[in-house]
Formats: sequence, C-alpha cells, structure tokens
Amino acid sequence: MNKIMYLEFERCIGCRACQAACRECGDHDAKERNFVEYVDFTESRQTFPMLCMQCKDPACARVCPANAIQITEEGVVLSAMEEKCIGCRNCTFGCPFGIPKFDFETNKMYKCDMCYDRTRNDIAPMCASVCPSDAIRFIDFEEMQQLRRKRTQMNLVEGKKPQEGNKWDYVPEFFGVYTDSQS
Amino acid sequence: MYKFEKSFYSKTSMYSFVAVMILFFSMWFSTSNFVHIDMALLGYAISSAVFAIGLTIRMSFWMWRKATNRVAKRSIGNLFTKERMKRNGKALVRTLIDNIILQKFIFKRGLYRGIQHLMISWGCIISFGITFGLTFGWMRFDLIDSETYQIIVFDMPTITMAADGIFAEIVYNGLNIGAIMVLIGTGMALYRRITDYDVKVTQRFEFDILPLIILLAVTVTGLFLTIMYTFLGGWMHHYMSLIHQVTVIIMLMYFPFGKLFHVPIRPLATAVPMSYQEVIKVDTKSCKSCGQPYSNDDQIADVQAILKSQNFDLQLADGTYLSDYCTGCRRRMRAMKQMNLESPQGNPYGPVNTNNGIHLSGFSKKRSEEFYGLDQDAKEEKIDEPISR
Ligand code: SF4
Ligand code: SF4
Repeated sequence: MNKIMYLEFERCIGCRACQAACRECGDHDAKERNFVEYVDFTESRQTFPMLCMQCKDPACARVCPANAIQITEEGVVLSAMEEKCIGCRNCTFGCPFGIPKFDFETNKMYKCDMCYDRTRNDIAPMCASVCPSDAIRFIDFEEMQQLRRKRTQMNLVEGKKPQEGNKWDYVPEFFGVYTDSQS
Repeated sequence: MYKFEKSFYSKTSMYSFVAVMILFFSMWFSTSNFVHIDMALLGYAISSAVFAIGLTIRMSFWMWRKATNRVAKRSIGNLFTKERMKRNGKALVRTLIDNIILQKFIFKRGLYRGIQHLMISWGCIISFGITFGLTFGWMRFDLIDSETYQIIVFDMPTITMAADGIFAEIVYNGLNIGAIMVLIGTGMALYRRITDYDVKVTQRFEFDILPLIILLAVTVTGLFLTIMYTFLGGWMHHYMSLIHQVTVIIMLMYFPFGKLFHVPIRPLATAVPMSYQEVIKVDTKSCKSCGQPYSNDDQIADVQAILKSQNFDLQLADGTYLSDYCTGCRRRMRAMKQMNLESPQGNPYGPVNTNNGIHLSGFSKKRSEEFYGLDQDAKEEKIDEPISR
C-alpha cells in the first residue's frame, strides 16, 4: 500500500455519505467509525470529515494498558483486539484527535482501520470511494504533491505570498493518512 | 530483599524462581513429602513448571509497560483504600460474576459467540483445574474403605463419596466433560473463523486459528484415550497417551505467548469500575472548552502521565493538554487548525475566523483514473466480480 488518504476539510458538504459507507464496510458491524461534525454551528455551516491518522507512533496504542491496539505491517492501526481490550477508554482520551469509539454493551473499542480488507488490496476505503465532493480522497503520493503545489500557486496568482510569519497558513493541507511500506 | 534480588540475573528471573518454588513446595506439602506423588504425571508436572516460568516472564514484561503499570498501580492502590472498600468489593464481585463466570459481554456480541466462548473457557478451566490439581498432587483420591473414596485437597481430607455414586461418576469424568465442552467450543470457533467474512478482515492464521487447532488436538487425543480404555480394552492406549502428552506440552508452551495469554490479563478489567467509572457511562470531568463531562479526573491524569513518560508532547500553548478537551472539541481543534479557522490570536474562546483570505484549492480537478489503482484491462476483467462483500 503506497497511497495517501488526502482530506480537504473545506470541501466537505456535510452529506454524511462517508459515514453511511463506513457502516457497510466489512467487519464494521453497521457502526460508523468516522465523524462528520460542524466546525461551529453558530458561525457557519462548515462541516468536516474526521478519520484516524493511522499515526506512525500511535498515542492510542501507547496508552492502552492491555496492549490491545495492533499495527499491521502496512502501518494501519487496527481496532482493539477484542480478547485483550479491558474497556478502559484510555485510547479515546489519549488520541490527540479523539478517534476511538467505544461500545459499552459489547465491551468493544472500534476505530477507523482504513477499511483494512480494501486498502490492503489497494482499493480505496469506503469513505473515499463515495465522497461526492472529494473531501476524502485516496491518491498517489505524486498526485498529492501536485495538489499541494497547485494550492500554493493559486495563492501566489492572487498576490498572496507567504511571509515568514504566516507561511504555515498556506500549507495546511499536508495531513494525508498514509503508509509507506511497499507491499 | 535487595540482596536477594541482586543474586538473580533480573527481576523477571527472580519472579520465575519464586513461582517455581511455590509450585514445588505446594507439591511437597500436598503429597505429604512426595509420598503420594503420581509418577505417571511427572512429564506434565515438568511442563507445567516451564509453563509457569513462561507465564511469569510474560506477565512481568506486560506489567513493565508504562500504561499497564500505571493503571495497575492505581487499581492496587485503590484496592486498599478504606473509603473505596465497598465500591471495590461490589466492583470485584460484579466483574467476577458478569464477566468471568457468565461472560455476559460476549453474549451481547452474539449468542453463537457467547456459547462458543463459554464452552471453551469453562471446558479449559475444568480441565486445567483437574490436570494441575492431579499433577501437583493438590488433589487426590484416597480409598478409605472398599465402598468410599475421600477427596484430599492440599493434604486435608474433605468430602467422601460412594465409589459408584453419581457424584463420583461426575468427578471421574470431569476431564471428559471439560474436553467435550472444549470440543464443541473450538468446533464452533473454527467454523466461524472459516466462514465469517467479517472476522477474516483482521484475522491471522498464527494468532487466531493456531490456538484453536492446538486446543482441538489436545481434546481429541484426550477423548480418544477415554474411548480406547473404555471401549477398545486399552488398545494402543500407551501410544495415545504419549501423543496426548505431547499435545498438552505444546499447548502449555504456547499458552503464554499466543492468543491464550488474554486469560491472565483479563482481571485488569476490574480497573475500570474500581478506578475510572464509579457508575458505568457516567462521567465527572468536564471539557476545558465546551464544559461537557466526558471522563474522570483520575483517568485523564493517568493518560497524561502515561503519554508524558513516553515523550508525547500534546501540550497546547496555554498549558492545557489535548486530553483536557472532550473528543468532539479535540476533533474540532484539529479541523480549525487545518482550515485556518481558529479564533484571533490570543483569545482561544473568541468567535471562529470564517474568512481567512487564503485561497482554497479549486473544485475543478477531476479524479484521476489511477485513483482507483486499476489499469484499464484489469478493470474490464473484474467487472462482474462483486466489489464489496
Ligand atoms: S486513533 Fe488517534 S492516536 Fe490512534 S492512530 Fe488514530 S489518530 Fe493516531
Ligand atoms: S479501551 Fe481497550 S483498546 Fe482502548 S485503551 Fe482501554 S484496553 Fe486499550
């Protein structure tokens, strides 16, 4: 897998197709594992999709007392192993983005696993394959670089040149969820 | 104590030594100085000792993890706090009954899975209990007169029973009953592992199927033993008992290092009602931003300490940590940062900045074909295959 999950929050139109698709994915047990939320409902109607970043050194796995969160060889951070998870929810609170969800009834932690059975075979995850506004994409590294360059160019065309103090405002886009193993 | 520890290569080896010594002395004590030892079971006794060493090593390493250590320390500390006695007692009894004896949470995942797990776990508990009991001599049967047996536990005489009564029958057949339960359970589990697409997504042969095969081998050879001496007059009994012994040893060696290791770590689950959630689903710590309760002070303190000890820097400019915010606020913070929507500098609680003046990438770019990762020919070939299961 050498593809990138590329999120552009601004593109999200709040249709929640990604959540519906997520519920249909294998092993997701008809529960969505991603989020679509309002930035601030009183200020704007802007929504954003949120997925797990599949961190290289995942905080969720580090705070798990049962050592239940495993990372696959492709670099995907899986949901807790059911037999080990003790249901403490440390992972939910440790994750910088509050991704892992918990089902109290069945004592199961579940989180975005990039539709492991799909991405493992280089098929786009459910959310990326249904998103109508391309807010979530599953693309090659090259394509991502191109998109980023384009963004900088457009700002230059409009006469907005990044300065030392604000250059980070112009490159907020590089937050693809990606793995770099060549399998 | 310190000196004692220094005479070992490591703490783990000290613990292993202590574990083996405890086993040895319990054996010495309960067989009244090895008089009543059952020599036929010596092979099992030795492999059980190795099993105990493996288990101790794995438990020590697991406890050494920062997260486990912190959570376990808090629970043990809480266990002996006076004000918490009642709560702890209640939590322990409830966890024992609901989660270990009845395994309610697994039944909520499905009746099939519940029955399957109950069968395997109780079958194993019965069989392990009897096997360890007999090999270490913790339990033995003495004939007190020609009609009655007495069960001796740790060298103390307990109940007596008629040699041909129903109760005696159940006791003699304990291992067979356990084996049949495990047989049903592992059969169900194997069937599920082979047919269910959902479990196939993350299952691994060596982790999820191998233990089932090992358990199955143990039970099948064990049951064959019974069949051979009851129905076939002991035909090939000797060879079979050797084969059975080999399978049991493989299982005991495998136990601490594979999936079955989840059994000894399960008791940590009591940490949740004991230290974190007094009432299940009721939170007491509120979010720094929106004020909604989302967790418990002790838990967040633990999470922050664990992260800190592993050099995770999740502190914000104003000194708060990301875990001080509820999950929803945390996600919003990430999105706002990425979209430059954060409120004006210096006022984290001000209105969001909806017009940041930055050009956002256009909506004109079509998805490239490579997006789907299939070239044209491959696509045509696969056209009538179902895309998802
Ligand atoms: S759940 Fe959170 S910490 Fe874990 S991999 Fe995903 S983003 Fe990282
Ligand atoms: S809820 Fe489960 S996976 Fe999450 S930290 Fe606790 S034991 Fe680990």
